[in-house]
Amino acid sequence: MIETRGPDRIDGSIRFPLKAAGGERWGLAGRQGRADNRSVPSPSRTTETATERRLSPRVVLADDDVLLREGLASLLGRSGFDVVGQAGDGAQLLALVRSTRPDVAIVDIRMPPGHATEGLDAARVIREELPETAIVVLSAHVEVDEAMELLAGGERVGYLLKTRVTDVAEFIDTVERIVAGAAVVDPALVRELVSARRRRDPLDVLSPREREVLGLMAEGASNSGIAGRIFVSEGTVEKHVRSILGKLDLPESGTDHRRVLAVLKFLEAR
Amino acid sequence: MREGLTALGRRVGESLMVRTTRHRRFAWAIAVLGPVLVAASLIGLRPSVGLAGYLFATMLVAVAAAVTGGRWSALAAAAIAVPLGDFYFAPPYGSVTFEREGDLFVFVGFVVVVAVVGILVDQLLGLFQQQAALRRVATLVAGAATAEELFAAVTEEVGQQLPVDFVRMARYESDHSITFVAARGTPNEAFGLGMNMKIEEVSVSGLVLRTGQPARIDNYGDVPGLLGQVARTLGMRSAVGVPIIVEDRIWGMMLVGSPAKFPADTEARLASFMDLLSTAIANAESRTELAASRARVVAAADETRRRIERDLHDGTQQRLVSLAMELRAAEGRVPSDLPDARTAFSSAARGLTEAVEDLQEISRGIHPAILSKGGLTPAIKTLARRSAVAVELDLQVADRLPRQVEVAAYYIVSEALTNVAKYAQASLVHVDVHANDSVIELAVRDDGIGGADPSRGSGLVGLKDRVEALGGTITFGGGPGDGTSVEARIPLDGKSLLEAERRRAAAPRS
Repeated sequence: MIETRGPDRIDGSIRFPLKAAGGERWGLAGRQGRADNRSVPSPSRTTETATERRLSPRVVLADDDVLLREGLASLLGRSGFDVVGQAGDGAQLLALVRSTRPDVAIVDIRMPPGHATEGLDAARVIREELPETAIVVLSAHVEVDEAMELLAGGERVGYLLKTRVTDVAEFIDTVERIVAGAAVVDPALVRELVSARRRRDPLDVLSPREREVLGLMAEGASNSGIAGRIFVSEGTVEKHVRSILGKLDLPESGTDHRRVLAVLKFLEAR
Repeated sequence: MREGLTALGRRVGESLMVRTTRHRRFAWAIAVLGPVLVAASLIGLRPSVGLAGYLFATMLVAVAAAVTGGRWSALAAAAIAVPLGDFYFAPPYGSVTFEREGDLFVFVGFVVVVAVVGILVDQLLGLFQQQAALRRVATLVAGAATAEELFAAVTEEVGQQLPVDFVRMARYESDHSITFVAARGTPNEAFGLGMNMKIEEVSVSGLVLRTGQPARIDNYGDVPGLLGQVARTLGMRSAVGVPIIVEDRIWGMMLVGSPAKFPADTEARLASFMDLLSTAIANAESRTELAASRARVVAAADETRRRIERDLHDGTQQRLVSLAMELRAAEGRVPSDLPDARTAFSSAARGLTEAVEDLQEISRGIHPAILSKGGLTPAIKTLARRSAVAVELDLQVADRLPRQVEVAAYYIVSEALTNVAKYAQASLVHVDVHANDSVIELAVRDDGIGGADPSRGSGLVGLKDRVEALGGTITFGGGPGDGTSVEARIPLDGKSLLEAERRRAAAPRS
């Protein structure tokens, strides 16, 4: 029961331009590798479909709950995404991803047949076969081991509580950031990790502000993202980050997802 | 003082219970040398002690010989004493002629009395030995011995009592076969511990099963089939079996085999053990059934919790998330000139999301999904992270463990941490979880005010059932000022009472 919808069957009603600011980010990063099999963009109204085809991230959904999946599909559709297929379990998801080559797969972690971590298993396969595909794993409970496994696979990953989908703007923004290359970990998990009580807590050396910045780093926010969240300049954030890394003896990491992984590992092991 | 004497008496008694070769050699020395030494020491007093005095003194010697070596050494003493007595103490001295008729009667009377005393002593000691053996078995029955330990002990006692080398305890199976559940002596593959063999037409096991009575085969020489062949190979001439009857059914039998023919009282001597064994098996079976039923209750409760969690997760939560999304969609369609309606939709959606998050917390309490997914290590780490009191974790669990054990271990740590947070006023709690191939050991100790009453944390008391159903133990400790500790041990292998009993309960019966 794979429901596939090729790009040629897009209903033209997507109100994408409303989200132009967010769209730009993914529009820049996630796309270059695919330019070959896409039509050349044109600003003209008559080729609107083609324009949207280029700009709308193509997404595949996997969840065994049809109602929720359809709800999510319509939400994404309204928010400027092109839902090219829906799957009810891991095997269908893999078949769909192989045939449609989406920009992002949004996957429920718990699916038939075992209702355990089928989504995570499928994500691993997708990572190996099509590393360019962004993956967002949704789960009712966020567990640090699963987060780290996902992050270890590379960039363009997200690990979120399922309830995040109900905050539409935030969710869409997060998915777009992930498609653009970010690694995102659910704030609830980060909160749990940061607030865990330790006897000799290495986090005690951090100032409250630095703790806040560390939490945002763990959630996968970039320096500019952190700056926006705590209303300081990006330069100040950079200073905080350097200070945190120094105090906690963490290495400077080249990419965002490595930074997230390092921070999570530290928080989990402290 | 009295205890000391009783203990001494028991030790002397027990040293005589089982006659060793050394005992027997000593008895023969008494029997041979005793009458001679008595004669030598009394010869000077001959006029005053007379024949009666000498025979009385040797009677004591014969009793000593009987106690140490049995009736035959007593009779030997008598046999030596008679000619010595006639030679030295019955006139005319210096000859063995039994001249006086009266002396002859005295001698005959002496020998008869010695024989009777010898037999009585033998029987008495036999009874003592049997009582001691029965007492040892009864102690095992009353204690927490496993069925296997008990079977082995009874088999050993039977072997020493009869005495006989080849002893087997066998259980009847529903497919007309027997399984050896305890074995002593004569190692043989076909008759080894745990071996199963068909019941043959001509066999002690077949006879016992047919009649429900003790049975014997006195000569394996003409027994056909494999059994006869094996018996002959083992050099076994005769065998006796007595039924073990548990609650009116023939549960099994005790089998003894020997290269010689068994005396007629063998069946009776064996039977005296069987009543105790029946009681023990009946006890063990009701214990098994109790343990199994506790385990079933716990497993059923776990299954229910898992199902509720699944239903909540796959049904209710998903539905609520869908509804929240629909509300958001509706919110988006509200015309912008109706800001109040928009706000109402928005706050409804937000409330719904919060409700879903609450529901997730509840469902985590009902059954932690992470335990089924990742096992104990990540599950306990999560518990530690969420603990209100700082946790020092020492977690050494390499693999996944049996599901019920994981669940029990998880709840022990979870309940203990909850209690620490509620009552202990502690600043630190140590959680140690170590598992090897055979057992998992858990300890949760805090540095709080201690003096905890385990009954206060009803959750902890509930864990006792869960742990004991798995054949494990759990203890709650710590006086005022010492902090509180919860320690538990749960076996992982098949050696636990539960496993042993479960195997037996699962095994088919006749």
